[in-house]
Amino acid sequence: MEDCISTSALLTTDGVPLKQSLKKAERKNKLRAFLLVFPLLLFIIVTFVMPIGDMLFRSVDDSQINGVFPNTFNEYKKWDKEKDVLPPEEVYKALFEELAYGEKIQIGRALTRMNYSKSGWKSLIKTTSRQIKKAVKKDELPNNYKEFLISANEKWADPTFWYAMGQMVNNTTPIYYWNALDRTYDQDQNVVMQDEKRRIYIKTWIKTLKISVYVTIFCLILGFPVAHLLANLPLRYSNLLMIFVLLPFWTSLLVRTTAWIVMLQQNGVINGILVWLGILSDDGRLQLVYNETGTLIAMTQILLPFMILPLYSVMRVIPKSHMRAAQNLGAKPATAFWRVYLPQTIPGMSAGGLLVFVLAIGYFITPELVGGKDGKLIGHWIAYHLKTTLNWGLCAALGAILLGVMLIFYWLYNKIVGIDNIKLG
Amino acid sequence: MSKFLKAFLFVSLVFAPFAASAVTVASWGGAYTESQQKAYADTYSDPGSIVFENYNGGLGEVRAQVESGNVTWDLVDVLPSDAITGCDEGLFEDISSEIASMGVPGPDGESIAEDMEANGLNYHSGWDCCVPQIFWTYVVFYDPDAFPGEKPDSMADFFDVEKFPGKRGIHTWADGIIQKALVADGVEPNAVPTVFANQTGAIDRAFEVMDKIKDHVVFWSAGSQPLELVKSGEVVMAVAYNGRVGAANLAEGENFEYIWEGQVLDQEYLCLTTGSPNREAALDFMMHASSPESQAEQAKYITYGPMRASGIPIIEANEPWGPGGVDIMPHMPNTPERLKVSIVNDPQWWSDNGAEISERYSAWMGN
Repeated sequence: MEDCISTSALLTTDGVPLKQSLKKAERKNKLRAFLLVFPLLLFIIVTFVMPIGDMLFRSVDDSQINGVFPNTFNEYKKWDKEKDVLPPEEVYKALFEELAYGEKIQIGRALTRMNYSKSGWKSLIKTTSRQIKKAVKKDELPNNYKEFLISANEKWADPTFWYAMGQMVNNTTPIYYWNALDRTYDQDQNVVMQDEKRRIYIKTWIKTLKISVYVTIFCLILGFPVAHLLANLPLRYSNLLMIFVLLPFWTSLLVRTTAWIVMLQQNGVINGILVWLGILSDDGRLQLVYNETGTLIAMTQILLPFMILPLYSVMRVIPKSHMRAAQNLGAKPATAFWRVYLPQTIPGMSAGGLLVFVLAIGYFITPELVGGKDGKLIGHWIAYHLKTTLNWGLCAALGAILLGVMLIFYWLYNKIVGIDNIKLG
Repeated sequence: MSKFLKAFLFVSLVFAPFAASAVTVASWGGAYTESQQKAYADTYSDPGSIVFENYNGGLGEVRAQVESGNVTWDLVDVLPSDAITGCDEGLFEDISSEIASMGVPGPDGESIAEDMEANGLNYHSGWDCCVPQIFWTYVVFYDPDAFPGEKPDSMADFFDVEKFPGKRGIHTWADGIIQKALVADGVEPNAVPTVFANQTGAIDRAFEVMDKIKDHVVFWSAGSQPLELVKSGEVVMAVAYNGRVGAANLAEGENFEYIWEGQVLDQEYLCLTTGSPNREAALDFMMHASSPESQAEQAKYITYGPMRASGIPIIEANEPWGPGGVDIMPHMPNTPERLKVSIVNDPQWWSDNGAEISERYSAWMGN
C-alpha cells in the first residue's frame, strides 16, 4: 500500500507518474537490447532449434502413411486377432479402395515406410496395385475383396504381413526408438527383441561409447605432457613444437586417415619395421587397421589437437612460482605436481575431454574408412539410413538417442566437475 | 509499374538465360564422372551447359531438395534400387512418355526399353523416370604373380582358402558378396536372384558359405581400397568394381586377372529430379546421354558396359576402341559369353530386402 501511495505522489515535470515514465524508458531500452540480439536469436532458432525440433518430431511421426490408408487402419484396429487368423473382409476392401483411388506418389512414400516394418511390403503392394488398377479399369470390382487380393498375391494370406501393419496404424509411434535399440513389436504390439541375427544397434552403441571414452583417455594421456612441454619451453622451441601440433590439424582429414592406412596395414610401415626388427614373424603380422584398433588409433591422433590446445591455454597461465613455492615449503616434486599443479589444469582437461568426447561420439568418416569389419560407430548407421534406406524416422531416433547420451554426460560432468570449471583459454 | 518491379524484371531478364542454361548433374565423381564429362557433355551440342557435381549416392539429398522445394540438381546418377524408390516416391519425375517419344533409337529403330530388354533386363518402375547409363559389376580380380602355380578361376576358388591360401578383400556391404557365395555353393549364376527370391533359407545358406572365409577377410569401404589391398599384397584376391580394375590395367600398367564367373552386374541410371529448374534442357541432355553412340563412347574412358545392347556393336566394329589403341572388349563385363556366367542384380528384390540383409551382414562382420 505504501508503495502505491508514494508512486502516485511522485510526478515528473510533464505530469506523468515517475514509475510509468521510468518504465517507458526502460521498455525502450529493453526493446533495443532485444532487437540487437534478435538476429542472433533468429539464427539460433533457424539453424539449431528448428532442425532439432524437426528431428525429434520425425522420430515419432507416422502421419504420412496414416494419411494414405486411414480407412484400412481404422478397420484394422477392429480386427480380433484371437478370433480370426486373417483380418476381416472390411480391411481388404478398404485397402483395395485406397490403393485403387489413392495418389500414386503418396502411396509410393507409404511403401518405403511399410518396408521398414517388414521386408517385402514394397513389391507386395506394387504387384497388387497393378492387378487392382487393371480390375478397376475394366470396371470389374470383385465380390470378395479378400479372395481377390489373395489370388493377386498369396502373401495377403500370410498373417505376418498383417501383424507388421500394426506398427503403423497410429499417427505417432515409438517404434523407431525401439528399432534403434534392437527391439521390435510382436503380433500383439508387445516390445520384443529383434531377430538375433539382426541385432546390431545396442552393440554399436556400446562400441561407440567405449571408443569415445578410450579416445578421450588416450588423448589426455598423450596430450598432457605435450601441452605441458608447450607451455613451459622457451618460446623458440615451443613455437616449433606448436607447428608440429597444428600442422596435422590443418591437414585434410582424409589425407591423415589414408596415411594411417599406409602406416598400419599388414604390409605397412609399422608391421614392416616390427618384422625387420625380428619382433614379429612374417606370418604373424598384426591386424592393426580395418578393425576397432585402427579406428581407435586413427581417431586418437586426429582428435589429439582438440585436447592439447585447451590444455595448453590453461597451463600457460599457471604461474611457475606455484610449483617452486610448493617445493620450497617442503613438498616433493611429485606431491607438488599432484596437489598444486594438476588441480589447476582441471579446467583445461575438462574442456579438452568434453570436446574430444563430443567429437568422437559422432565421428563418421575416419571409422568408415579404417573401421573395416567391426570398427564402425553409430554415425555409420545414421548415414546409412539417411541415404540408402531413407528411413529418416530411425535416423532421427538414433540422432535423438545420441543427443540424449550427450546430455546425460553433460549432466554427469556438471555434477562431478561443475560446468563453471570449463575453460578454453 | 513500380521502379522496383521494373528493376527486378530487368535483372531477371538479363540473368534468366544464364540461370536456365546450366543443367546440374549429380554423379559419383572420380574417373566415372570424368568419363561422363567426356562421353556425354563434351559430345553434346552445348557442352558448357552441363555442370557435374559430386555426391555419394543414395537418395538422402534428393529427398531433402524435393521436400524443401529447393531443387538444385536437375539430373541424378543413381543405382537401380534408388531409381525405383525415387520414382515410386515422386522424387524423380515420371517421364515415360518423353522417353518413348524423344529417346534416340538404335540402328534398327530399337527403343531404349527394347535395347535394355535385349541386354537381359526386365522392366521396373525406375524405367519410367530414368534413362539407362552403364553396367558395372562386382568382379573378383587378382594379381597373377600372387599365384605361381595354379590360378583361381571360379567362385568356388575364391571361397576356398585351403586351395588358394591368403586373405580376401570384400566390401563392407552385402549385395555383391552374398550373391557370389551362392555361386560358390553350386547355384547357376543366372539363377541366383530367383533362388534368393523364392527359396526360404537361401540367405542362411549364403552366410554359411561366407563363414568359410570370414577369418581370412579384409573389409574395404571405398572403391579405391581393393586395388591398394591387392597391390600391396595385403590380400591375394578381392572383389572390386570392374571399372577400377580396368583403369588399373589400361592406365597404370597393372596386369590383374578377372574372374568373370559370378560377377554381379548392376545397372546405373540418370534420373530427372521432380521440380528440376531446367527441365527441358535436362530432358534433352538425358536423351543425348542415353543414345547408343554416347554409351559406346563412354567405354573409351572407363570399362563399364553400355546398358543399351545396340552400344556394343559400335565398340566391336571400331576396335581398338580404347585409349592408345587397346581393345576394350576384353574388359567389358556384358559380352554374351560373360553374361552367361553373370548374376544380374534384381533391384526390386534388393529395395525390398536390402535394409534387413544389411543389418544382418553387419552383425555377421562384427562377430
